[in-house]
Amino acid sequence: MPVPVLKQGDVLIASVQAALSDKDLAQLREDLADRVGRYRARGVIIDVAALDVLDSFAARTVRGIAYSTRLRGARTVVVGIQPDVAYAMVQLGLSLDDIATALDVEEGLALLRTTA
Amino acid sequence: MAEIAPAIMGRVFPAEIAIDAREIERRKAFLEFREEDAEALKSLNEIAQTYAEPVIEDFYRHILAFEETRAFFGDPKRLERVKRLQKEYFLRLTQGDYTADYVANRLRIGTVHEQINLDPKWYLGAYNFYLRAVGSRLQEKFACEPNKAFASLLSMMKLVFLDIGLALDTYFFAREATMRKQQEAIRELSTPVLQIRERLLLLPIIGVIDTHRARLITENLLQAIRSNRAKVVVMDVTGVVTIDSRVANHLLQSVAAARLMGATVIVTGLSSEVAQALVQLGIDLSRVSTVGDLQGGIEEAERVLGLRVLASDTDHSPARPG
Amino acid sequence: MSGEVQITIETEADIVVARQKGRELAARGGFSTTDQTLIATAISEVARNIMQYARRGEIILSALEITGRRGIDVLARDDGPGIADLALAMQDGYSTGNSLGLGLPGVRRLMDEFNLESVPGRGTTVRLKKWVR
Repeated sequence: MPVPVLKQGDVLIASVQAALSDKDLAQLREDLADRVGRYRARGVIIDVAALDVLDSFAARTVRGIAYSTRLRGARTVVVGIQPDVAYAMVQLGLSLDDIATALDVEEGLALLRTTA
Repeated sequence: MAEIAPAIMGRVFPAEIAIDAREIERRKAFLEFREEDAEALKSLNEIAQTYAEPVIEDFYRHILAFEETRAFFGDPKRLERVKRLQKEYFLRLTQGDYTADYVANRLRIGTVHEQINLDPKWYLGAYNFYLRAVGSRLQEKFACEPNKAFASLLSMMKLVFLDIGLALDTYFFAREATMRKQQEAIRELSTPVLQIRERLLLLPIIGVIDTHRARLITENLLQAIRSNRAKVVVMDVTGVVTIDSRVANHLLQSVAAARLMGATVIVTGLSSEVAQALVQLGIDLSRVSTVGDLQGGIEEAERVLGLRVLASDTDHSPARPG
Repeated sequence: MSGEVQITIETEADIVVARQKGRELAARGGFSTTDQTLIATAISEVARNIMQYARRGEIILSALEITGRRGIDVLARDDGPGIADLALAMQDGYSTGNSLGLGLPGVRRLMDEFNLESVPGRGTTVRLKKWVR
């Protein structure tokens, strides 16, 4: 599975290693939803630092995950968007406005702490 | 024409300036360089072999006689190497097969000239010398057949002009590349991103913002956010000459991209008139944090970072005890 | 044409291959890393459109060289259902993050030149070009 999920306290950290296929996405969404429920996690960090491209499909994927984790009472933070990936996303019109973002996992954890 | 050091050779790709077989044929057609010219030149090869040394010696005597061109040949070893290359160039003129390889060889010359800063006027003068030298040798050799001498010279002239065209192409191409690099360097200097506190960047934008500059600003900003781990950016637009809807969109894109990297952007220096005008043009500023002046913006940034806990004196917050 | 690469688009894995090859070709052409990402992203978008709406198609990448300028040419074509309303497809009215829309206005912003041809029932061809700055 291309997305290892770690648990740090009451936060789940999913590090996306490669481009997600539809199947992987469904798997990840299910997986996170399940774990959020099971561990009563209050936060999910999706780390996309390894992705060199984030297209509209990937953005929809991330939105979907954020939506389903929110339904279970957890907050999602997307971290690790690289400079040129951020630039390309904005050109494409993908702003992920409704999702919190942070520079990296460390910052993501800090953000979740301050908005507990 | 000039020294072609191995290191430079490796960097020159004739393919870059897209001189393909069709282009070469068009140029030859324009110069009226035909099969008979190629044949005529090939038949001169033996003569050329005889005259190569003396012509080259005369050539360099001429070049060294002028201060402006002498400067390029200070080192005697370099001079020897260049003379050898020059002789090869000269002989190549009468070796036939004026196609792809020939062209590739000639294209390198212009690039080298640009790199050593040898202006076209000097090497045009040099080509001129060649033609005259060849002309007088032909006159000597074909004293009894002046028409043949003249025809041969005309063929040579066509080929030399083909060479000049190719050399100029690469000269200008290399020059443009150099100028683009310089402009890029200037642009980068003119869009600095300053770290004024830990996690706080200041981006003063001054002057005219076109698409290219906006792109550069955004790229610089995003790289800076990563390397400084910035959480807040104060983007000051006081110095921007005109803020129309295009510029505003560029700035909004920068803000959106910064946000994707977890950084908040506070825009300062946007007068309320301009802000209102932009809103009327349909620009959505609702998600952008704006503060009137730079000082205020920095204070706001510090508040966001938790560096400034108390309200400032000029704030209209409820009075503090004591 | 020099450096022409053809990629059949049928599965999601093909999308990744197409954009990686696009990035490689762009890198060889002298594009900055930022531009490489823009190009890879554009390829990703049009490849996904092919997969999603036409099931099968192809992407052809080639290096461009015209009077001193280098660039990349991306041709994405399929024999799918085609786009009924081109004007609507090119409208930027909604976020491309939605499941609606082909994201084409966004793709146009990523590249320098954009050409769209589509005949309902016959297929779609998108041609994109970008030049090294």
